[in-house]
Amino acid sequence: MDDSNPSPVRRLHLYETILLFAVPVLFVVYPFAVNDYYIDIGFYFGIYALLGLSLNIVLGEVGLFDLGHAGFYAIGAYTTAILNTKLGVPVIILIPVSALAAALFAYIVCSPIIHLRGDYLCVVTIGMGEIVRLALINNFLGLTGGPNGVYNIDFPSFGGSFVIDSSIEYYFLIWIIVGVSIVGLIRLQHSRIGRAWNCIREDEVAAGTTGIDVRYYKLLAFVLGAALAGVAGNIYASKLMAVSPESFTFWESCMMFCIILIGGMGSIPGVLIGAAFISLFPEIFRPFAMYRMLVFGVVMILMMMFRPGGAWPRRRGGADLPSLFSRMRKSHDG
Amino acid sequence: MKTLKYLFLVSLLVAVFIPASSMAAKAPVVIGLQGPITGPWAYEGEMAKQSCEIAAKLINDKGGILGGRMIELRVVDDAGEPKTGALAAQKLVGQKEVVAVVSTYGSSVCEPASNIYEKYKKVNIGYGVTAVRLTQRDFKYFFRTCGRDDSQGKFFADNVPAKFNAKKIAIMHDNTAFGKGLAEDTERALKPMVDAGKVQIVYYDAITPGEKDFRVSLTKLREAKPEVWYYTGYYAEAALLVSQAREIGVTCPFVGGNAAINNEFVKIAGLDVAKGCYMTNEPLPADLPYDKAKEFLNAYKAKYGDIPSSPWPIYAADALNIIAYTVDKTGSMDADKLAGYLRKDVDGVPGITGPIGFTDQGDREGVPFYIYVVDEKGNIVISK
Repeated sequence: MDDSNPSPVRRLHLYETILLFAVPVLFVVYPFAVNDYYIDIGFYFGIYALLGLSLNIVLGEVGLFDLGHAGFYAIGAYTTAILNTKLGVPVIILIPVSALAAALFAYIVCSPIIHLRGDYLCVVTIGMGEIVRLALINNFLGLTGGPNGVYNIDFPSFGGSFVIDSSIEYYFLIWIIVGVSIVGLIRLQHSRIGRAWNCIREDEVAAGTTGIDVRYYKLLAFVLGAALAGVAGNIYASKLMAVSPESFTFWESCMMFCIILIGGMGSIPGVLIGAAFISLFPEIFRPFAMYRMLVFGVVMILMMMFRPGGAWPRRRGGADLPSLFSRMRKSHDG
Repeated sequence: MKTLKYLFLVSLLVAVFIPASSMAAKAPVVIGLQGPITGPWAYEGEMAKQSCEIAAKLINDKGGILGGRMIELRVVDDAGEPKTGALAAQKLVGQKEVVAVVSTYGSSVCEPASNIYEKYKKVNIGYGVTAVRLTQRDFKYFFRTCGRDDSQGKFFADNVPAKFNAKKIAIMHDNTAFGKGLAEDTERALKPMVDAGKVQIVYYDAITPGEKDFRVSLTKLREAKPEVWYYTGYYAEAALLVSQAREIGVTCPFVGGNAAINNEFVKIAGLDVAKGCYMTNEPLPADLPYDKAKEFLNAYKAKYGDIPSSPWPIYAADALNIIAYTVDKTGSMDADKLAGYLRKDVDGVPGITGPIGFTDQGDREGVPFYIYVVDEKGNIVISK
């Protein structure tokens, strides 16, 4: 953490400015240069980026240990799957509906446990994620289809004319959503809410004594995080055209946790790096079959030893859009 | 001099290209295998891979197909997980030389993967995917060599009443998803015979799993006077049921579903009660009577020391065999031709798991099931 610059807005280095423009261009050009398999890897990178961003709100911004995030992801995916197959609601309309369903679930389930701290909260969230998965396996209310899941989900379409059904269209769909989320989250980081979250993360008691409604802000983080995970669930369900409980295991929650730890708590570029690592690494190392996870573990341990703050830790007022704009305006008020 | 130089160049070119083109004719026929090489079902994936390798080797040792072209297996890992399965499928469809794919072990992994194979027109044959709905989608390129979840009920209806010459049938289940499902499938499969007046279902009821005393239900069963009694639940209750039934004087043959009888069943019920109890079951690899099975299992045993411990890998080997057979017969790599041939012309082709043929939906025709019986020594063997 670089706290040497007390000003909330810092000037960008030249290389940061170049990165800020080069990375989006790279993302746009990439799918035109490769075949569908690599586009699909890019798509799943996007899904993990969105999931990472959603968990980053809870774990990164507020410091709440949440190892049941796959539960929210599952709620979003199954809401889409069930409403689309049973009632024929278009998938695109179900994006906000899935977000709301996951958010509502988070509100109801997290309200009674929000006062728990650290490991205790972690244990409860593990339980929450597992309960969701087991409910899905046990064919909850006869809707979730048990271990076989729900199938025949439609493709998203805009007014029936433009249907998203190819790899490249899905790639752009997910990355547009990730892009919009990133802009929103950066705004959020710099808002009163973002500062309150960080304050709670650093010292909950101090935050409470300065008048921050700790309970409210913690719940807000869970609800927002769940909503984003719900959106990811929606896209995932329509991409695979089928959902089943295997996709929402504890392992998936761990992966999201790793994204944040690898990238750096509360850092949005870090989330992208972490998501890239999580989604690309298993594909690159797939030929090693069983040794894959061994290497993965070693890399994680080395990471923790040599860069405990993550690959790209968050710096106060770091390289992000508002600071870029303020640099352009030569203004220094945050 | 110049002409000579050109002649030399041309002859050099010819010399380079003739072997190349004749080599191209002998290029291997690449068949994909998508399976859970890692993940929770890694042992299934590993055995499927080994089985396919053995099957390919057996074909290659006999000179390959299409007049000397070898089979090459290309394995991709789907980790037993739907997302990775979709990626694995995407990877294989991107490789033009892959003719067709053996794919895969779990139904929920197969679902998204088969969507991709369908979209990119690649024949894919499932080997451990039993969900009924997979072949209800009117897919053109999807087949499976294994049975469906409801094959067992159909097998019971086709074979068991005839074997015991029984007209009155009792069906008992345990209200679990599996037991109830099998009971319902059996009832559905028996319906045409019931309507024709050939058989009668005199008892159809459920017991509560976990209970220890089933005498009330069994008394009802005894009063119905069935000539054969089918129990579709698990072995723990099955053992108690049979013991108590014999005590109160139910004498008709007991037939269990494929979860009802195993070595534990024999232990709990005791040999006296257990012997002569029947079950419907997929054939275990060791029990397959076919020549191809013997050849395959011997080769497998020679290489890996033992035969596959699960029934599924041999279906994978059969899927590979039937792909090789179809490519050989049609002389084509075109997915439409292969799918058409598999659907229409493959009928009773000898395979490891018995004659292979496909229905119009792509289901295996005549799925192999057997009636097993507990013998005098407590071993579970095929009933003659």
